[in-house]
Amino acid sequence: MKTGLYLSISPLLVVALGGALLMLAEAFSHHREEHESRSAGPSSELALGTAITLFTGAIFAAAVWFVGPEKLDGSQDLAPWLIIDRFTLFFAFTICVGGGLASLLAGGYLPEHRIDRGEFYPLLTFSSVGAIILAAAGDVLTLFLGLEIMSLGVYALTGFRRGSARSTEASMKYFLLGSFAAALLLYGAALIYGATGHTDLAGIRAALVAGNLNYGLVLIAVTLMIVGLAFKISAVPFHMWTPDAYEGAPTPATSFMAVVVKSAAFATMLRVLLVAFGQPELSSWGAGWPPIIATLAVLTMTVANLIAGRQESVKRMLAYSSIAHAGYILVGVTTTMRLHEDGQASVMFYLLAYTVSTIGAFGALILCGSRGAEAVSYEDLSGLGKRHPAVALVFSLFLLSLAGVPPTAGFFGKLYIVKGAIGAGLYPLSVILLLNSVLGAYYYLRVLVFMYMREPAPGAPFARPMKSGYVTSALVLAAVAVVALGLFPTTSLEVAVRAALAP
Amino acid sequence: MEALKSQFPAANFSLLAVVLLLPLLGAFVNGIFGKRLGKQGVRLMALSAIGGSFLASLLTFLMLPRGEAAEEGGHLAWNAWHWFTITGKMQQAIPIDVSFAIDGLNATMMLVVTGVGFLIHLYSSEYMWKDEGYHRFFAYLNLFCFSMLVLIMADNLALLFVGWEGVGMCSYLLIGFWFGETKNASAGRKAFIVNRIGDFGLLVAMSMLVYYLGTLRFSSIDLAATNLSVPVKIWPIGNLSADTLPSFVAAVILPKEPVMVYASTLVGLALFLGCAGKSAQLPLYIWLPDAMAGPTPVSALIHAATMVTAGVYLVARMGAVFILSPAAMATVAVVGAATALFAASIGLFQHDLKKVLAYSTVSQLGFMFIGVGMGAFASGFFHVFTHAFFKACLFLGAGSVIHAMHVRIHDTDKSQDMRNMGGLRKYLPITHATFLISCLSIAGVPPLAGFWSKDEILWKAFSNEIAAPRTVNGLVPWAWPTWLGVAIYWVGIVAATMTAFYMFRAYFLTFHGDFKGWTIVRGWTDPHAGHGHDDHHDAPHDDVKGDGPEPHESPLAMTIPLMVLAAFALLAGFLNAELIHVAPLGHLLEGVFKADEVAVHERAAAHGKEMMMLVPGILAFVAGIGAAAYVYLQNKGAQETAFAKSFPRLYKLIYDKWRIDELYEATVIGMVDALADIFQMADTWIVDGILAKLSAAIVGAAGTVLRAFQTGKVQAYSASMVIGLAGVGWFLVRPHAVTSIDDTKLKQTGEVVVSAAPGFGYSYNWAGPGLAPTSDFSATREITIPLQPGDKKDVVLQVKNAFNGVDTQTITVARPGKKAAAPTPGANPMDDLAPGGKVVIPGDKIPDLLRGLHQ
Repeated sequence: MKTGLYLSISPLLVVALGGALLMLAEAFSHHREEHESRSAGPSSELALGTAITLFTGAIFAAAVWFVGPEKLDGSQDLAPWLIIDRFTLFFAFTICVGGGLASLLAGGYLPEHRIDRGEFYPLLTFSSVGAIILAAAGDVLTLFLGLEIMSLGVYALTGFRRGSARSTEASMKYFLLGSFAAALLLYGAALIYGATGHTDLAGIRAALVAGNLNYGLVLIAVTLMIVGLAFKISAVPFHMWTPDAYEGAPTPATSFMAVVVKSAAFATMLRVLLVAFGQPELSSWGAGWPPIIATLAVLTMTVANLIAGRQESVKRMLAYSSIAHAGYILVGVTTTMRLHEDGQASVMFYLLAYTVSTIGAFGALILCGSRGAEAVSYEDLSGLGKRHPAVALVFSLFLLSLAGVPPTAGFFGKLYIVKGAIGAGLYPLSVILLLNSVLGAYYYLRVLVFMYMREPAPGAPFARPMKSGYVTSALVLAAVAVVALGLFPTTSLEVAVRAALAP
Repeated sequence: MEALKSQFPAANFSLLAVVLLLPLLGAFVNGIFGKRLGKQGVRLMALSAIGGSFLASLLTFLMLPRGEAAEEGGHLAWNAWHWFTITGKMQQAIPIDVSFAIDGLNATMMLVVTGVGFLIHLYSSEYMWKDEGYHRFFAYLNLFCFSMLVLIMADNLALLFVGWEGVGMCSYLLIGFWFGETKNASAGRKAFIVNRIGDFGLLVAMSMLVYYLGTLRFSSIDLAATNLSVPVKIWPIGNLSADTLPSFVAAVILPKEPVMVYASTLVGLALFLGCAGKSAQLPLYIWLPDAMAGPTPVSALIHAATMVTAGVYLVARMGAVFILSPAAMATVAVVGAATALFAASIGLFQHDLKKVLAYSTVSQLGFMFIGVGMGAFASGFFHVFTHAFFKACLFLGAGSVIHAMHVRIHDTDKSQDMRNMGGLRKYLPITHATFLISCLSIAGVPPLAGFWSKDEILWKAFSNEIAAPRTVNGLVPWAWPTWLGVAIYWVGIVAATMTAFYMFRAYFLTFHGDFKGWTIVRGWTDPHAGHGHDDHHDAPHDDVKGDGPEPHESPLAMTIPLMVLAAFALLAGFLNAELIHVAPLGHLLEGVFKADEVAVHERAAAHGKEMMMLVPGILAFVAGIGAAAYVYLQNKGAQETAFAKSFPRLYKLIYDKWRIDELYEATVIGMVDALADIFQMADTWIVDGILAKLSAAIVGAAGTVLRAFQTGKVQAYSASMVIGLAGVGWFLVRPHAVTSIDDTKLKQTGEVVVSAAPGFGYSYNWAGPGLAPTSDFSATREITIPLQPGDKKDVVLQVKNAFNGVDTQTITVARPGKKAAAPTPGANPMDDLAPGGKVVIPGDKIPDLLRGLHQ
């Protein structure tokens, strides 16, 4: 019985046990059924419980980070299945924060829109467990396990609005394409095992370095695994499911997908690329994965930004915006080939900044609308700045952060990535990223234009903000984080640098 | 007193906090809670804040070091906090602190600001009583006093600049106090813009001081100022070298030699630009007359007694810099003299009582600049001091008159028009008496205050000359011509004559003759009672010739300040009456200006003529007052009408203020407008039209096309994924021959290293000159190629991957330079590098290679 082991995986344990307890609580609760009064539905107790569970997980992750997992006896006992290092803990923290904020959003959203059923919360919690496992996985088997635990929950969350054809369709599409991608990933893992005889990432690398194996098989396996991972981060051209799924899902689930799923997928992408495929031949700018990732980055940024500018629905615009951000992060992933620590740190910082900004933006969108008067199109937001200055102000803050306006978190996220790209000599990539930020600014600022400079046409419907302590508190937390990361970016960047995977 | 001195030691004189914070507190309380406090509360807060500040200033004044300590430059200092640090030319840290230093000069200023300030607050508390924005007014006024105190108490230019901008801001707020009327708002805007030009000068001066002296503290500037005596090269149109321009253009517009000037001259002129903006000197005076759109007490406090004299204060404060440059001093004096004359001439025929006073202020400021420009810092400052009393008194008197006119005339312009006044002596006895005293004072009638200060300045202008500083690096400093002082003296005499004339013209028109405002009917009541003062619009009953009540004297709160100020206008001259050797103020200032006045000498020719040169001064006011009395008292303005008839254009030109505003409108503003139009056109057509619209259209179209792929069909989605998968696979399955060239050793060994990018399962085959031909693929990723100067070699790389695919790339490496017949062993390969030799190597390494070669 090693306490060190349990301490080191405590973030995972806290969230998993919390999820189980929440499920029990839900099963025996008096508030099982949807209720007329918003304060009497399942959300009334479960939302807070989920948030507390996940934030506790975040606190544990931070605590273990500060103690240092290497000091905990037995923390490596689960390696290579689960690797508890600072990298894992950083992502566990980000995942828990994102999940906690999303559950707070759900606490306001579900009752308001009459889909208040308790299973949302355990699903969200277990999905977060899968995400943490994914971030910690040092073996393709646990990787796949984590991916499926995470994904299954998210498929269900996407289709949570049972009565809505759109929601069900989105869920179905996501499930079909997700299975396709998972199959590719699994197939790649199988080929790798066939070529190297290893399923653990470090072992795969050792075998690749040693050489004398079937090179063609490995290259095909690399192709399949990259595509499987690119699907999860919704890189173009594997992104097609994203707008539909994001739009069809209830907004808190959308925000969960946009931040938690993406963070976990990036964590595992970094680990696979840098640990398993990190030897010079595969990470070469000439013929390895970096040119592929760079191409995906360029495609993802450009296509997503171009389409986002043509959207009329704000939620769909945010969906495309989250794809575009994946493109920016892929630039950061590319830079890791030359700037090992700094490249990873820029990705991690960006993900943290992106998590709070995106949750904030979706949350503000939730807050802008109430049942029957939702904020869907840009026009619905007309004049919001005058009618509800506080709501419009926080919405603007998050959008400015997403657009990368100083001194918000998003600005420094982009700054570090561009800095990394320049440091790694990838000048064209950094230029394309900056041009794309300009495209992005267009559609983010368009929301501000509607909120502050337009009046709703007479008789046209306009959004009426809802009232919810949950959503408000989530927005306050996210806004504080956005501003704090913008004012003191270096502290969290140093944390990210220390969390980087060893070469 | 001893207890106080131990409580507040001279080196940490925190009593200054009281002086500063009371007005700030007043501004805060009145600004935030003013509406809830009610008018009585606001009045109490404002008056006690400024009154308390005055008492603290008085204590400060009394605690100033006296006697020898003062002569040695002793002062009271208080360092509130360290503000920030900048880095100087030599990488040294230059601390910029929020710290204050009080000597005789600014202690006197503090008394004026808080003392006159208190009187004007008291006056305003009655004058503004009916105004809606009562609390706002006092918040601004208190804030102004705070900023003005920061300005004069600061011990460094950076902090002074904070106060400088603060008073500017309060001034704009108060000029536009009744912003409902366009005229007032645009007057505020005009003041703002003109002052920006001046601020630019001040900022330039500050940066140059940081550059040359590495300090902004006045005390350190005084010590280090001589370091400014260095010649500076100036190329009038930038540092364009001849080859950037066509030679015939360059020959015409580019000077062969740079202009050499002393840094001290540049700093002095830049400082003076700032001073000219704030103190309304030519050519930046145009904002001040318009600034009279603000409430009359504001004109008295800000635009006559305190803020506008800040420029004079700054020149006096920076005397150590100015004295190094006779050219800068002469500029100050000449601009001052020109302004004095010019503004006085405009004042001759104005009908608006406040306009007369405004131009008189501009003119008097000119006199002050004559004083400081002629090296008579104490005399110039003394005029600041006396002017504060008589001009504040005149403005407040004018306010009292307007107050009286307001019982019947509510239109601002009409109530200030002297043609509607006359005979007010009977109805406003106190206002009349105080106004008369101040008029006599400003006209320079002995022994009133204005006489002592003005004649002192004129005498100094006549007698002083500035010695040239020593020549540095062969640049001969501009020499001070002897006739300059004499010329300025005579210009001053003419301006003084005009001053006496227009002041008494105003006096006679307002207080003598018959009342022309309306027909006075005893017991008449206003059917539209309840109006405020200056703020009112053309009410329909403003028909000037109707009936109306007797104009009445203002209440005590307004007349007490008048009487106090008149008393000072009468007597303050004896504080510095050099002629009869009673000069306590002069002694107080001696220590401050002692070091600055070393370069100021009395001309030998002027020696002993002090009494003689007094005569023109006395004749000036006799002639001015006499003429005014003859024209306006005896002949009821007949000559002015006659003059206007015989020279209608000249009269109109003077009345229209020499049409300087229109001149600016046509030239500077016209040019800026034209430029703005051009930019706007470029913006509409090129930036907005072509660049923005076109790129937006392209982006939009691309978005629409891409969006069309988002069909919603899951089959299409998976097809897209398959395409992506195929693309990734295609890339990884194909071989890629990518090379990089390392030339870092080319200089030493004449070799370049060509390496192929690693690829998983790749093998390589190299072919080229000097390489053994082989058909085998090996693991050799790098080859080294020796190169002689002028050599050019082609290398062929073949790459084979795990799927037996082969990719080929040809690389050309070259080395610049002439081909050597026989390379000498051991010679530096760089020796025979031809100048301008170009290296041709494909690939992305060209910049590095070039860099490597030129190192």
